[in-house]
Formats: sequence, C-alpha cells, structure tokens
Amino acid sequence: MAPALCAICNDSRALIIRPKNHQKLCKACFVAIFEAEIHHTITTTSLFSPGDRIAIGASGGKDSTVLASVLKTLNERYNYGLDLVLLSIDEGIKGYRDDSLETVKRNAVQYDMPLKIVGYDELYGWTMDQVVEAIGKKSNCTYCGVFRRQALDRGAKMLGIKHVVTGHNADDVAETILMNLLRGDLPRLARSTNIVTGDESSEVRRSKPLKYAYEKEIVLYAHHKKLDYFTTECLYSPEAFRGSARSLIKNLERVRPSAILDVVRSGEDMAKLVPEQVTGISQCKSQKVSLSSADGEEEGAGGCGTNGRDSGGEMADMEKKLKEDEKASSREVDITSAVSSQTSGQRHDRIPIKPESGKTRKQESSRKLTRQTLGTCKKCGYMSSQEVCKACVLLEGLNKNRPMIEIEVDAADEESSTLRRNMEGLALAAG
Amino acid sequence: MKKQPNKSALNLKCFCLYVATKTVKRMETYRVRGSTIKDQRKLLLPLSFGPSSSSLLQILDQHIEGQYARMNRSGYELFVVHIDVFLDPADRKDASELLEKYKSRFSRHTYSSFGLEKALLLDGIDWKALDVPGPEEAESKKPATERLQHLLGSMSSATSRADIASTLLTRLLVDVAKRHDCESILFGESTTRLAEKTLTETAKGRGFSLPWQVSDGASPYGIGFNYPLRDLLKKELVTYTSLTSPPLAELVIFQEKSSNISASSKTTTIDDLMVQYFESVEENYPSIVANVVRTSSKLKSLTGNDNKGCGLCGLPVAEGTDGIYGWGGDQNSDSRPAREDDQYGVLCYGCSRSING
Repeated sequence: MAPALCAICNDSRALIIRPKNHQKLCKACFVAIFEAEIHHTITTTSLFSPGDRIAIGASGGKDSTVLASVLKTLNERYNYGLDLVLLSIDEGIKGYRDDSLETVKRNAVQYDMPLKIVGYDELYGWTMDQVVEAIGKKSNCTYCGVFRRQALDRGAKMLGIKHVVTGHNADDVAETILMNLLRGDLPRLARSTNIVTGDESSEVRRSKPLKYAYEKEIVLYAHHKKLDYFTTECLYSPEAFRGSARSLIKNLERVRPSAILDVVRSGEDMAKLVPEQVTGISQCKSQKVSLSSADGEEEGAGGCGTNGRDSGGEMADMEKKLKEDEKASSREVDITSAVSSQTSGQRHDRIPIKPESGKTRKQESSRKLTRQTLGTCKKCGYMSSQEVCKACVLLEGLNKNRPMIEIEVDAADEESSTLRRNMEGLALAAG
Repeated sequence: MKKQPNKSALNLKCFCLYVATKTVKRMETYRVRGSTIKDQRKLLLPLSFGPSSSSLLQILDQHIEGQYARMNRSGYELFVVHIDVFLDPADRKDASELLEKYKSRFSRHTYSSFGLEKALLLDGIDWKALDVPGPEEAESKKPATERLQHLLGSMSSATSRADIASTLLTRLLVDVAKRHDCESILFGESTTRLAEKTLTETAKGRGFSLPWQVSDGASPYGIGFNYPLRDLLKKELVTYTSLTSPPLAELVIFQEKSSNISASSKTTTIDDLMVQYFESVEENYPSIVANVVRTSSKLKSLTGNDNKGCGLCGLPVAEGTDGIYGWGGDQNSDSRPAREDDQYGVLCYGCSRSING
C-alpha cells in the first residue's frame, strides 16, 4: 500500500495523526496549521494590540516553551508589534527549579527574549522548601499555587507589564471545568472558561492563547520544532484532586477525540447559564470580562506537573464537609420543629443514614453562596475578591508557624478537625 | 471515623420507607388534596426494567394505593411506557413477556410499549440533516428496524450512536406522552444518574442543554419533566429492589458492574465512562455525587423566544451557536458553511458533533 499523503498539501507523506481530529498530516502542514490556529485564536479574540509588552509565564515546561516559541514566530510573521518578555517564578524547591530555570535561561537566549526570575523568598519571605519544612508535604500545593498566581502578576508589575500570558491548554481548561462541576463551584467554572481574565482597569490581565490547543498537539509541536523544554513533575506533586478530573479527561479523549474541545465548549455555554446571584457579576459582562483570578486556584498553576492542588484527601474532606452541611440543615429543622434533646432529635428514622452528632451548627454559614466581587486585599493591596487575599491569609498562618488549612488523612482525629474548623471559622471571620 | 449505621442492620421497613418518602416528597404537586376527580392528571412513566424505573413504579403504585385507601381517589394516574431499544426479535419477545409480569403485578396502571424505530415516524425531526429519508418517503421501503439500524450504524463512533439513540428515545417519549394527553414525564433517574448525565452531556458538548436535562419543571417540548428519584443514590435503589416486599429484583434487569470498561475499546462510550466513574465516586463520596446534581440544577436556561429548535434533539439553540463550526474552538475562519437560505434547520452543537463526527 502506498504511504498515505498529507490531507492538506496532498504532496508529502503523512507522518502525523492529529490528536484533535485524527487528520493525517505531514510535518510541515501540522506545524503550519498549529500556528495558524493559535493565530486565529489571538486575532478573533483581539488578545493583543500593537506595542503591548507581554510577559510569558515561563516554567521551562512544554506548554510555556511552546507558547513562547509560537508567539515569537507569529509576532514576527504577522507583525503583531509585541514586546515579549519571559517571566519565571522560582518557588525555591531545590532540585526542581534548578533545572527548569536553566531551561528557561536557555530559552531566553534561543528566543532572544529578556528574562525575569522572581523568587518566592523575595515576594513572600518563604521558599517552598521552607514552607514544606514548616507544614509538611500534605497541603503545600495550596500554598504554592496561591503564591504562584500572585507571583506572576507581581513580577509583571515589577516589570511594568500589564498582560501576562500563560501556557494553559485545552486539556487544562476542560479539566478545570469538570473539576469545578465536581466541586460544585460555578463561579470558578464560569471564570475559567474565559480566554482573558481581568480587563483594561486591572493592573495585570491574564490570558491563555493555547486555550483551544490539545496537550498532545503541544507535545507534538515541541517535538517537531525540536524545542528545548524540561519535563519533570514537581517533587512535591501529590495525588491531586485534579487527578480525578484529569484521568477522566484523558479517558474521554481516547473514547472520542473531540471530547476535550466539546467540554471546553460546554463550559463556555454553561458560563452563560450561571445565575447572576452565583457569580456576582452580570451575565453580559461576564462573557467578556471577569474577576481577576488573583486569589483563585481555578486554573492549573502553570509549570507544576499535576497542577497544584491539595492532596488526595481533598475529596474526602469535601465529602465530610457536605455531610456536615446536610446534617446542619436537618438540624435547622429540628430546632424549629422540636426542641427536643439530641438523641430524640433523631425524629427522622426515615433518614437513617445520617448519623447525628454535635458541633455542626458552625458549618451552616459556609453553605450560603458567597457573592464574589472584585476588590483589593486590605493587607497587600493586591487584587482579591476577599477582604484579605488568600496569599496573605496563608502567610499569616505561616508566620505564626501554624498552618491555616491542614488536610488530614486521619479522619478519626476528631479533636484536631474541630480545631481546624474553628480556625477556618476564624479565618472566615477575619476575611 | 464517624459511626455510619450499616444499612443491613437497619430495620428493612425503615429503609424502604426512607426511599419511598424521599420519592413521594418530590410528588407533592400531585397530591389528592385540592384536586378534583376531573383534573386527575395522567403522567407518563418510562420503564426501562432497570432498578431505578422499576423502583419508581413500585413506590408510586403504593403511593396511589395509599391515596385510594385514604380518599378513595388518587391525584394522578400512571401511563407506563417501555421503549424497546433492542431490535432483535428475541430481545423484543423477552421484553414483552417481562412487561406482562409488570402488568400483572401493578395492574392498576395502563401500559404500552414501542420500538425505538417508531421514532423514525416523528415529524418534528429534520431527517434531511440526518441524511435519512423522512417518514413519508420511507414508509414503503425497508422495514423501520432496518432503517434505524442503518442510521445508527452510519455514526462515526459508539458515543455518537448512543447519543443519537438516546435523543430519539427522548423525542419518542415526548411524542407518546403528548398523544396520550400526559401532563408530565416521570423519569426514574437517580442522583447518581443525574450526576452522570451532567458530566456526560458536558463531555458531549451539550452543556447548554443542562438546565432542561437535570431540573424539574417545564421542558421546551411543552410537557413537564420530573425526576422524583433525584434525592436517591443508585445503590440505594438497587438495595430497595431487594428489600421491598414482595421483592422487585426478579422483575429487574441489572446492568453488569462497569468496572471492567476500558477506554481503549471501540465500543466504549462516554456514557459508559461516566457510569464507571460515578460508580466509584458514589461508593466513597456519595455527597459529592449529590452536590454535582445540586450544582448543575442551579444553571438557568437563557430566555429567548426567537431561538430555533435543534432539528434533532429539538432543544432551543441560541442564535449563532448552532453546529460545530464557527466558534472559538473551531479555529478555522472559513469552516462555517455558508447558508444559502433559511430552509435548512439548525442543529445544536451536540447533535452536530454526533452526526458530523
């Protein structure tokens, strides 16, 4: 059988099966269509204006390396008139960033772009290694993720740059959509589908030009363009909550390659269906502009292999919290209908799978939908939807040498979980 | 670890009462009180013979019996409909025998069954878009079952086949319900099933349709959709089928455990993956399952009357959002086919994905 020819040029031999649609392409046509598609995304969403200075969040990983390479190519090819800068964050994890930062340094030379490296120590006074020393390995990804988001924006601000682009790809976006469905977080779901977060009035906007690009195609592009990137997972990368959504996405892709794109599409459509009282922003506005993701973990934090989330205990934690909420709401009824003792308060023998126990009332407040509006943190002045931004809350805990959010594996440890909830309550009250 | 009462240790009656109470609570609109015999409502109950729809029939049968015992009348009557999705004559025979057993056990209600191929006779579907002959032209040609087989066989993947088949099934149910003056359809979908559906529809690009797929109330088809089992887990219903007396289990067709489903098999569908996924989530994190449904039920359909209905699923498609081309993720400026005129109907993103691959 003669070798298949490229479906686009009909000339060269097809060497690549496009992961997105299983089209058979030659190498040159694949590279060309990949770039053309990113260009299409950039132009149809008017992502950039001539003269913009753009910071590329660079981790040395495949996504950000491909982003830097493609942006450089397109900037020259189509005269975007952009001033591109590489911006890297040094979390201070020995043995992890050492190598990836070397990669970024080489990229800076290869792409002839200036490079700025910002360390957690200079921003927060803590390196990740120190954080881990203080709190253990359990929930450090929360810290890392929250710190990193701000770090990119603060680094950009230092450089006087108002727009940061990150390497989030379609797989990341799809994963975030499913994850937020599982976590029941519609505001984050809605926000994560936007290609740009923040607007003209924000100090720093963020965007993800690779939003529609499949991870597999990014890998193929990096391979065929022989890009210099670094593959390793974060040393501390845990079995993440995201992992559940991630493996689901990978399986969906195998069953139906279009599924990743279809999830992204569903997410965009669902964002329009999220009621205003849930997002706190009007619908027409939410399509174009949204809250800054300053203190959110709605996206995978670029550069961290499995994307910084809490340990696998997070699902168990949420299950526990939901159960308590449910109990709390059934207790609400108890109090109004029958002021009986707790044991006889088990009037619902029809609802036998919900065990009674004390100390559930304080959970009630957390059931209410929190209305989110954009403001600034009163501590650091940084964009936040809370009064005190999450980074400051975490820092306060660290500085007291006492973690705010601790993920326990041992659910039997009632005392410490009560303590934890009390502390969360305090944190909420303070916020 | 908190004490979790073991279900087997519970009074069986208690458990069955719990299941029935949770269901009946969702049927409050159909109480006897306040209604007159004249407007006794007719509700369609789709019966697949699975544990959920069978349990729903049993629970509502007892509910109606209770209403009769107390008030000598009932707030609603059930029209039980089985749709045969298998085309093989042997399967059909088994199904009709099984339906007879249901009839004799729950004899108060009216029953009917239809083959899925009856959907090919529906005139609300844009058959041209599906590239199959419409009802009029096709009448005399091949038998309907063959035409259905051909239609489904022409789909590019197992997921698309399952997607189109379930869309046709819904449309057929709606049509049957309307022709028999039913006010609503009572779907036997459990919390677990609704959570599966939330993620399945999302993964098939049908996120826009979720408000109509998981929430109780009026559907765009001009008929009500209700999910009385929405507060019960699938595993609870499976347990119910064996604990209720007399047991239902012998009438129920149970699906095999999905644990050996492989994503690399050609016959595996997105629906299969989600069943498998939520089977494990339900096991360890039942509240998360319920939370998914609560979350997707918060989505509000966009109100716009000028929206055209999709030529296949019939759901409203917002202006300019039809088809799989011409949106951000398409990334191809000239892929949206030019429309010559308005005579072509629209297809929603999800249907278009299944048909066009």
